[in-house]
Amino acid sequence: MVSPFQLTPEEASALWLSIKVGLWCTVIIAGPGVLMGWLLARTRFTGKALIDGLIHLPLVLPPVVPGYILLLLLGKQGVIGKWLYEVWGITLVFTWKGAVIASALMAFPLMVRAVSLSMSLVEPRLEAAARTLGAGPWRVFLTITLPLAMPGIMTGLILAFARSLGEFGATVTFVGNVAGETRTLPLAIYTYTQIPGADGTALRLVVLSLLLALGALLVSEIAARRVGRLLGR
Amino acid sequence: MLDLDISLTQGSFTLQGSLRLDQPVSGVFGPSGSGKSTLLKVIAGLALPQQGSITLAGEVLFEARKGIHLPPHRRRIGLVFQDSQLFPHLSVRNNLLYGFKLLPAARRYFRLEQILDLLEIGHLLDSRPHHLSGGEKQRVALGRTLLAAPRLLLLDEPLASLDEGLKRQILPFLRRVRDEIRIPMIYVSHAINEILYLTPQLVVIDKGRILGQGAFVEVIRQQSIVNLARSLGLENVLQVEVLRHDPEMGYTVVQYDHHELHLSLSTLPVGANTFISLRAIDVALARQRITDITIQNQVPGIITQLLHTTDRVLVDVDIGAPIQAEVTRKAVQDLRLRVGDGVYCLFKARAWNYLGTG
Repeated sequence: MVSPFQLTPEEASALWLSIKVGLWCTVIIAGPGVLMGWLLARTRFTGKALIDGLIHLPLVLPPVVPGYILLLLLGKQGVIGKWLYEVWGITLVFTWKGAVIASALMAFPLMVRAVSLSMSLVEPRLEAAARTLGAGPWRVFLTITLPLAMPGIMTGLILAFARSLGEFGATVTFVGNVAGETRTLPLAIYTYTQIPGADGTALRLVVLSLLLALGALLVSEIAARRVGRLLGR
Repeated sequence: MLDLDISLTQGSFTLQGSLRLDQPVSGVFGPSGSGKSTLLKVIAGLALPQQGSITLAGEVLFEARKGIHLPPHRRRIGLVFQDSQLFPHLSVRNNLLYGFKLLPAARRYFRLEQILDLLEIGHLLDSRPHHLSGGEKQRVALGRTLLAAPRLLLLDEPLASLDEGLKRQILPFLRRVRDEIRIPMIYVSHAINEILYLTPQLVVIDKGRILGQGAFVEVIRQQSIVNLARSLGLENVLQVEVLRHDPEMGYTVVQYDHHELHLSLSTLPVGANTFISLRAIDVALARQRITDITIQNQVPGIITQLLHTTDRVLVDVDIGAPIQAEVTRKAVQDLRLRVGDGVYCLFKARAWNYLGTG
């Protein structure tokens, strides 16, 4: 009899894969997310509404659609995928890297929304004050805008991580359901619910997902409070 | 010396005019929404005019035709905002040093300690901005700007968000900056008292237009400013010297020209120069000197103009300075007032206001 707290190798693999994909997803969208959030909050350019709409599409589309589009673009026969494979030897389909791309695409709008909201709340006169004190635009961004928008950036990152943990549709469409490679927690739960007699395992993974999500929310709450205190709010 | 000739349109608001400021301290005076803050933003480089040019001490900061626009961080023009705009995520120390650290050592004017002493903010160094009172915030904001070694200091209503008591506490610091630091200053306010406390040199601006510029008494009497002066109760303004006080009887004697005026008791030192103002409706006229009356001042003069409006008459009298009385048509008729007539101007001691005393 195995201890109920002992994870089987399959369960452990799904858990660690989920965390790995989630962290990579957060890492790769952090920079572009902050930049895009700033562009949407603080600049005016032609085609802004279009860009805004495109970024937010994954939020409103059935996740299968972005997954299929990824497959078309980044699959081995896809426009970009072919080039990636032939020139760089990079394969994304049926790999965990592909899973990262899929969840990054789905999480990006959440990140951008959180960042642009918090940046639009940064008092422009604080930035103006920094300019008159001799700071160039980049220095103002790094020393004033970015730190003051930090609560929103952190919220965005946590949301992105959580979105990645829950990603199912785009992932399964783009990179399939390969045990040990692309079978993250939601995919594993789905798989076990399809196998007769594996309900117990599915339930254990459901509890695990709950704990992980709760943990992420808790970390975000604590971090937000710390930053809030620092900013005197 | 600042030379400016610009036109800027933002939505339905247009700021247009030319200025030449060559005084150590200039005041910019005008009602709320007149374009004062926009003018400062233009000078600091935070707002971009569509036309014109700005030159500071011979250096072109902006010239629309040649496409020259020196960005704000290269202008070395300090701006203190109405509500301090301290960086909330930095300590007072790091707020103060924000601009200072960006300067090469050779360009720094002050040491931190000098500024802490001057503004008495040393005890606040390790505080966070949100723990400071309004007056402390403003002093830190002023210190932060001074430490960035600006060649021109712009003050945008720095006292507007403070209550009366705090204003009185901060004004002496501004005088100290004026006298000890000697960076040219442009002080913007809708409160004439604050400006006159620091300088008699001012620019008057309203509805985006520069209405006049020069010494207070001359500017305020300019034709273009009459309406604004009237709305502020500044129809009559004199520059006077304090001669003596009588605290027991509760009055102060000042001298104007060769006249002595009795005013309400002031705390100004004997010998001080000050501005006093009086509303036109507070001036009474008499054909001869009147005895047995509580009014303390009866000054003879000659009527220079009678301006009839629908419901009243504005009577200009020369008493060595122009004085305007606002009376009814009936009063003019009863006394048969005509241009060239001699009259006595009657001023209650307590009707005069002291200006610029902080």
